Amino acid sequence: MNADNGASPPTENPLYERHQKIYPRQVSGRFATARISAAGTLLGIFYLLPWLSWNGQPAVLFDLPARRFHLFGITLWPQDFLFLAFFLMLAAYSLFFFTAIAGRLWCGYACPQSVWTESFLWIERLIEGNHAQQMKLDESPLDFRKFRLKLTKHALWIGFALYTGFSFVAYFSPARDLAARVLSLQLGGAETFWLLFYGFATYGNAGFLREQVCKYMCPYARFQSAMFDRDTLIVAYDEQRGEPRGARRSDEPPGVRGQGDCINCTLCVQVCPTGIDIRKGLQYECIGCSACIDVCNSVMDRMNTPRGLIRYTTQNAIEGGSVRVLRPRIIVYGLILLLLAGVFSWRLATRVPLALDVLHDRNQLYRETAGQIENVYLLKVMNKDALDHRYTLNAAGIDGLTVKLDQPEISVPAGTLLNLPVSLLADESALSQRSTGVRFELVTADAPAVRVTADARFLGPAP
Amino acid sequence: MKLLAPTRWMPAPQRIGAVLWISFLLATVATGVFFSAIDPLELRYCVSFPEVGRTTAYTVGFLLFWLLTASSALLSVAFVYPAEQPAPDAQDPS
Repeated sequence: MNADNGASPPTENPLYERHQKIYPRQVSGRFATARISAAGTLLGIFYLLPWLSWNGQPAVLFDLPARRFHLFGITLWPQDFLFLAFFLMLAAYSLFFFTAIAGRLWCGYACPQSVWTESFLWIERLIEGNHAQQMKLDESPLDFRKFRLKLTKHALWIGFALYTGFSFVAYFSPARDLAARVLSLQLGGAETFWLLFYGFATYGNAGFLREQVCKYMCPYARFQSAMFDRDTLIVAYDEQRGEPRGARRSDEPPGVRGQGDCINCTLCVQVCPTGIDIRKGLQYECIGCSACIDVCNSVMDRMNTPRGLIRYTTQNAIEGGSVRVLRPRIIVYGLILLLLAGVFSWRLATRVPLALDVLHDRNQLYRETAGQIENVYLLKVMNKDALDHRYTLNAAGIDGLTVKLDQPEISVPAGTLLNLPVSLLADESALSQRSTGVRFELVTADAPAVRVTADARFLGPAP
Repeated sequence: MKLLAPTRWMPAPQRIGAVLWISFLLATVATGVFFSAIDPLELRYCVSFPEVGRTTAYTVGFLLFWLLTASSALLSVAFVYPAEQPAPDAQDPS
C-alpha cells in the first residue's frame, strides 16, 4: 500500500481516494477463455452438486441436524472431526504451494469472489451494454430507459443471488426437499436466514464491493506476499522492452522514434478489474487475472511487435536472470503437502466404520451379587457404515470376566447410534484392587471382521 | 456507528471488512469446533437451555460467536487510534 507509514501527522489531502466504480472493459483472448471456462466449471459444480445422487442418497450433504456429513457414500460423524481439520490443512498448504509457484492463480481463476464478480459483470454487460455504455448510462439523468435497465439488472442480480443462497442451503438440507418447501413457502427460520444471508452477501460482494473485497477484506491478499519470491510466476510488464512508451502508427516499424514497444494505449488499465496500471510494477491489488496480458497481446499483434510485453513471468526472468522452479520453499511446501495428502488418504482408506464409547454407570459404582461383583456400563455403538450390521461384544482384563446383555444380539442400522446397557460380572476373588482396567471389544458378526476396542474401569470393594 | 464511518486513515469498506469479515471467518471456525464437540441436544440436560432444534441452535450459536468476535474486532479498531489525540475523523479537515 502506498499509504502513509504513520510517521507524519495527518495531511490536508485524504490518504485515500473516494471509491470510484470501476468499469472493466471486456477482453477476449487465451487467458480470458481459460478464466471463463474455470468460472463456468466451478459455478457448474457449485450449483449442480447438491442435486447429485449417490446410491439413492444426496452425493454431498452436510446434514447438520443429524450431525452427519455425507460425501459420495462416505458418512462422517462428529468423531471424524480430524478429517475436516486435515482437509483444511491440505487446502491451506495447496494454496501456499501453488502461490509460491504460480502466484495468485487462485485469485484470478478460482476465488468465489472473482467467479461471482465475473458472472455479475456478465449480467451487467448483457443489460447495460459495454463499459462505455455503462459509464454513459450512469452519468445520464434518471429517465424511463435508465430506470428500466437498472431495474432489470438488479432483478436479475437478486434472482441469481437468491438462487445462489438456495444452492448454499441445499448443501445442508436435501435440495429436492428444500426446493419443494421453498415453492410452498414452508421454509424454516434458520434456512430462510441462511438463504437470504448468503444471497445478500453474493449480491453485495459481486454486485457492489467487487475489487474492494480483494483490496480491503481478503486476508490472503495481505499475506500472499510472504509466499512470493523472485521465482514466483507473476503478471508483469516488461519495462526494458516497453519504455520509453509513446504513440506510433501501426505502419511505422517498431523503434523508429527511439521508443519502446508500449504505445501507451492504456488498454491494460481499462481492462483491469481492480483499476491499477500494471506498468507501475507489481502491486498488491493485482489479482493475477491476466486480462491485461490478453488485451496487450492483441495490441502487439496489430502493431506487428512480438507478443508478451505484458506476460506471465518471474521477477528473475524479467531482469534477465535464470528461473529456478525447484527451490527450498517449493520443496518444503511440496513435502508437507505430500505428507498431509498421504496421511489423509491413508486415514480415509483405513477408516473403521464403527465406533464405541463406554460410560460407567454414575449412580452405582458396583453391586455385589452372590460372591460376584457387577458393574453397569452404557455403551454407545456407532455404525458409521452405509449398511446395517450385527456385532458381538466381549470384554477382557479380569480372570473369569463375563458379559451380561439384555438383548441376545447387537444389531445397529446403517448410520445410527445405539445406546446399549451392559453389565460385567467378576468374582470378588479375582479382583486385586479397587479399580481394574477392562477392555471392551466389539466385532462385526456378519461382514469382514471389523473390530474396535474401548477401555473402561471395573470397580469393586477394597480387597 | 461512528467507528465505521470513513476517516482519512482507512476507507469505510476496509474498516467494515476488518470488523465484520474477519470476525465472520473466525466465528465459523469457532462454531465448527464447538458444535463438533458438543451436541446442542445434549446441552438441554445440563442447563435451563431452551428446547430448540439443532439447526436453530447452530444458527444462534454462530450468531453469538460472531457477536463476540466482531465486538473484539470493533474494540481493536477503536483502540488503534492513539488516546491522546482526537480520532482523525474528529479533526477539522479545513
